[in-house]
Amino acid sequence: MVATDLLTQSVINGLLLGGIYALAALGLSLVFGIMDIVNLAHGHMLMVGAYIAILVFAATGITPLVGMLLAMVLMFGLGVLLQKVLLKHVVDEGIEQPIIVLFGLALILQNLGRVLLGGDSRTADIGLPGSGIDIGIAYMSFPRTVTFVVSVLLIVLTWAFLQYTKTGQAIRATAQNRTAAKYMGINTDQIYVITLGIGTALAGAAGALLSMLFPIDPYVGWSYLLKTFAVVVLGGVGSVLGTLVGGLVLGVSENLGALYLGGGYRNIVSLLIFLGVLLVKPEGLFGSSGGGE
Amino acid sequence: MARDDTSIRRRTYLKGAGATGTLAITGLAGCTLGGGGDDGGDSGDGGGDSGGDSGGDSGGDSGGDTTPLTIAGTVPETGSFSSLGEDLRRGYELGVARMNDELDRDVELILRDDESDAQTLREQLQAIVSNNDVNMIWGSFSSLLVTAGSAFAENQGLPFLGIAFAYEAPHRNDNYEWTFSPFPKSRDVARSTLGTLELIEEEERPTNVGIWEPNSGWGEEQADYWEDTLSEAGYDVVMREVFELGSSDFSTLISQAQSNEVEVLLSNPSPPGGITAVNQMRDSNWAPKMLKFVRGADPSAWWSALGEDGAYALMCPGWVPGLTGNGNAALREAFFAEYDIEAEYMPANVGGSYNLTQVAQQAVEAAGSVDPTAVRDALRSTEFETVIGSFTFEENGLPTEGELTAPTGQWWEGAQRLAFPDTDSERAIDFQYPIPPWSER
Repeated sequence: MVATDLLTQSVINGLLLGGIYALAALGLSLVFGIMDIVNLAHGHMLMVGAYIAILVFAATGITPLVGMLLAMVLMFGLGVLLQKVLLKHVVDEGIEQPIIVLFGLALILQNLGRVLLGGDSRTADIGLPGSGIDIGIAYMSFPRTVTFVVSVLLIVLTWAFLQYTKTGQAIRATAQNRTAAKYMGINTDQIYVITLGIGTALAGAAGALLSMLFPIDPYVGWSYLLKTFAVVVLGGVGSVLGTLVGGLVLGVSENLGALYLGGGYRNIVSLLIFLGVLLVKPEGLFGSSGGGE
Repeated sequence: MARDDTSIRRRTYLKGAGATGTLAITGLAGCTLGGGGDDGGDSGDGGGDSGGDSGGDSGGDSGGDTTPLTIAGTVPETGSFSSLGEDLRRGYELGVARMNDELDRDVELILRDDESDAQTLREQLQAIVSNNDVNMIWGSFSSLLVTAGSAFAENQGLPFLGIAFAYEAPHRNDNYEWTFSPFPKSRDVARSTLGTLELIEEEERPTNVGIWEPNSGWGEEQADYWEDTLSEAGYDVVMREVFELGSSDFSTLISQAQSNEVEVLLSNPSPPGGITAVNQMRDSNWAPKMLKFVRGADPSAWWSALGEDGAYALMCPGWVPGLTGNGNAALREAFFAEYDIEAEYMPANVGGSYNLTQVAQQAVEAAGSVDPTAVRDALRSTEFETVIGSFTFEENGLPTEGELTAPTGQWWEGAQRLAFPDTDSERAIDFQYPIPPWSER
């Protein structure tokens, strides 16, 4: 029988972690939902963002939250470049070609990381004064709380962008029907560029936040790709709200899995969720609404 | 023969054209062994270190056989154990330099990076053995990598020496013929933990023990020894939970330890895992009163990553500054002469790997040959005196039970210091207990 305080603590730890999972998955979900591309390099883009924050922190001692902003800018640029130079040749050419291109990109990023930065794992401190919050029945760790708040903030900003800006509406229109969007005068090629830029920037932001909690090495990309896939499948492709809920569910499930089944089962939980949702509700909890609610 | 790898030859380390070096280069027998500052006590170690410091230097690898000794080895210079690679390498380098000075033959060590990966290790060893007339193999770090090297050596029929290898089961189950581990084993680590606990005044002594067990063979074996040894001694093992080796999220384990009121936390995580766990303990505002992370707290990276947050942590790296006799003074002198390091204390794993080189040297001396079978027989029959103690080997390559005491070190003011057993060395430390709450650190 697990004590109530232990159960509560595990759920809170899971929720706090789930916020970052949701942010990490949001970029994948957008690209998947709008461009119909399975971005196999998403986890490695997250890794690159993490390293940017770590290197900035190591060089200057400035909080990785600042590094996160830099990572978002640089990763947005990488996404734009990637779409303009590489992916534009394979988007809308079926599912296989983009997968092969992005799988190759993942391997390139992993090996570049290993060659340039070494295989050692690195981490960054949050670099801000502050302490955790004792809420009586549980303790909310300071770094986890900060990263959760920032994650949710970025998710809300992304949702607001998609919902209330012209570009956001154009993105959603393109997701719903690319041909119709073209007829309506939307430059869908430009929309793809912006979408991949945003998706890559969100991956970079999530990586920067994760670097404050967990060690990062050039090989972490696959692990986070798997988690983000599970979140996207759980929440529904292209759904911002679904992604947020999916992330929180995954975070809590992992922690409860570790609590009840043992730490060795933590990662198996995300796989089981992935398979379970595919079997029972393949469209995800929130279906595919295309580019946000 | 291409040698892009690190090859440590005697000429690299001969300093000047001294008589000893000249004799060695010409292959003449009768090098002065145990000479110089390595004789007659341990004065260089200060603090009243008692006993001789000969390190078993017995005077010769005689008999006219001057066949070079070629050793293949790997160290983890990259990957999850990379923080230990440099220390291992330095111990080997110092040892090979000493062997070249003291043996009547050239000694060459060919070292490569195994990337902390068992498959890479096997490939590297295969490449070295295929291109060289190798007589002996030296292991890497951790049970994972050492057992991989050992399996290769057993297959090749070559004597294999490995440290940072506490796992006992392979010795007993794999019918080792060529593998020897001059290193404290799981049983010794458990006894050392008990000995460290007994340093605490009885009225202050903790009772609640928590064990975080990595999901590996050694993880289970070490947890079994801890549970049995401490339970028999009257401690309550209130928590024993398995975690995935390589895991980076310890939040659930920390919550469980806190909920079970764990006072003594024992585990054998990887170094990155150990560092991450302490970071997350700090973030969760929880700390045990005593923390022992075998292997996890071994490398110098522990302090560089954690700083003062890493203080009080205990480790069992096989050798710790503060041990005396059997060549410890000579090791210290050689280390600070060779490496331009400002630190006052040597990293622990230098001593562990240096101890391995002493065993290799003494085995070759006893065998009077580099023939693998002769060296193996010498390993089985010789009593070794190294910086970690005096011991013999059982047939299966385990140090004979009861002969080695696993030294427990403690991180204090940026250095690993001997906490158990008690010695007179000024480099030892009174065991610092308890770990204060984070708010008071």
